Amino acid sequence: MENDKKYFHALQVKTQKCVACMKCVRVCPTKALRIREGKVQLDDTRCIDCGRCITACKYGALIPWSDTMEITKNKKYKVAILSTAFAGQFSDKVGYPTAKKAIYHLGFDEVLEESMITEQYSWMIRKYLKEYPQTRPVLSSNCPAVVRLIQVRFPSLLPNLLHLESPMSVLAVYYRQKLVNEKNIPDDDIGIYQIVPCISQVTAVHQPEGNIADIENGAISIQEVFGHALEVLPEAASDEREIDVYTKGLSLSVSRMEASENDDGNIRTLAVSGISNVIEILLKIENQQIDPYDFIVFHSCIGGCVGGVLNIENPFIAASRIRHIISKGKDTKFEDKRISEMFDNGDFDVTPLAGRSIMKLSSDIKTALEKMKRIHQINATLPGLDCSACGSPTCLTLAEDIVEGKATLEDCIVLLRKKVKHRKNNY
Amino acid sequence: MAEYWYIRQEYEERTHQHFDDLPEPVITLDFTLGERDFVNAGNASSQIKMALKRLGVDSAILRRIAIASYEAEINETAHAKGGDITGNIYPEYVLIKFYDKGPGIEDIEQSMIPGFSTADDQVREMGFGAGLGLPNIKKNVDVLHIDSVAGGRTLVEIIVFFS
Repeated sequence: MENDKKYFHALQVKTQKCVACMKCVRVCPTKALRIREGKVQLDDTRCIDCGRCITACKYGALIPWSDTMEITKNKKYKVAILSTAFAGQFSDKVGYPTAKKAIYHLGFDEVLEESMITEQYSWMIRKYLKEYPQTRPVLSSNCPAVVRLIQVRFPSLLPNLLHLESPMSVLAVYYRQKLVNEKNIPDDDIGIYQIVPCISQVTAVHQPEGNIADIENGAISIQEVFGHALEVLPEAASDEREIDVYTKGLSLSVSRMEASENDDGNIRTLAVSGISNVIEILLKIENQQIDPYDFIVFHSCIGGCVGGVLNIENPFIAASRIRHIISKGKDTKFEDKRISEMFDNGDFDVTPLAGRSIMKLSSDIKTALEKMKRIHQINATLPGLDCSACGSPTCLTLAEDIVEGKATLEDCIVLLRKKVKHRKNNY
Repeated sequence: MAEYWYIRQEYEERTHQHFDDLPEPVITLDFTLGERDFVNAGNASSQIKMALKRLGVDSAILRRIAIASYEAEINETAHAKGGDITGNIYPEYVLIKFYDKGPGIEDIEQSMIPGFSTADDQVREMGFGAGLGLPNIKKNVDVLHIDSVAGGRTLVEIIVFFS
């Protein structure tokens, strides 16, 4: 990566803006954040780009990063792929077809929708489930934050991941090939840009995990596109050409609806959203304490992709709008046999991912045991309030940080106060 | 008083050594569980599993420990009046003790037969009591020791070796 960090993150840390309020430290599901010397620090190995800290930070110290419209200038033939969550950002007054037209008016040659692929993607999942009957449950892989969570906290479940590109990437791989072969556009001239609802998808485009390299040329946030789209809305509204919209497949953006897409009566599915729910269910799967599901759809954000931090609208409103569009909007059927052929040919297959466990205290069990013993000893002396005033999320994590040499017992403010009191009383 | 021992053959020597020497565990994790406390049942086994995961214990072995200890924990809350759970971690194995508050197991041999159950309707309604608990524990552990007094308390001890 350009900044020679091992892991790229679409999370920007603006240290100078940090006021050490500790909010981010408390919400991070992988304990990747600390406050040290009054400023926030990010552990690159632990961060899974879920974006919860961005929502928590009120001071602009943790902000999302994504490509801007600028990036599209580099390519001659520009293709946008709209995430299904995009449809939920506009009021009924604007209407989805007009919102989509606005994207053309921003200078894209073609505007594709993630929803185009929903039906064929469900077909792929069903076929995959038949091909791997011994792998159960199969875990959806289209939320990059969940994939990374499994890599860092549940590496034993990596074989259960659906080893298939995400719907947007499947569409990108297929469409790039189509443009090259059918429209004779040189590969180098094509720019494919995902319009994404969350930072984990930005990270996935810029540092793909086990993906086919260079599928997309950028990931632009829905927020960024929304601002530009508003400017061209009047033009788009008076644009009278007919465009296709693929409304039925918008179900992908709503967790529960996405799961039922794949449920054909023989396949038992479960939809789980919100990172703490995801963790709870993954623990149950790991312990084999779960009903026999065939396929589980996971979303790190509550409600599904409509909950991503790069959206404009509240997730519940966005989901309600999408349901409305699906039931009332005009749908266009999209199907290309080429996609099925490419799937059968393995063109969308993902190589098995490697774990990068953050769990192990040491590679040697004896050393790990000694460390753990010291952690427990230190933890027993801490107040157990989990106030995170020390800059670590919990007392136990502070104990770990002390053992790892990253903090000291003096960082505990509660203990320090006791000490001061004790001293006062003794003078 | 009735006692039951199951020791996987390849671990006989190491098991005897443990019970002869009774070494100090490096780490001890203590929990208590109430009767019919289905909300908290599973907490002890997941905490013990989490600790072992952090020690780098192989995931296949972790899974066996998780399944066996979860079953035993459920037994303690569903079939007994709750009790204490202690996870003792040694460099080469984990020993988990479930010491419940009774009412004891009448016939341990019988309770080891898959499908045999004494569970009441309430427990069955919760999805437990299929009579697979103890056999399932046995299947997943290297050592299973049950010591029970009919009408009194039951001690269930399991050992799983890390290699």
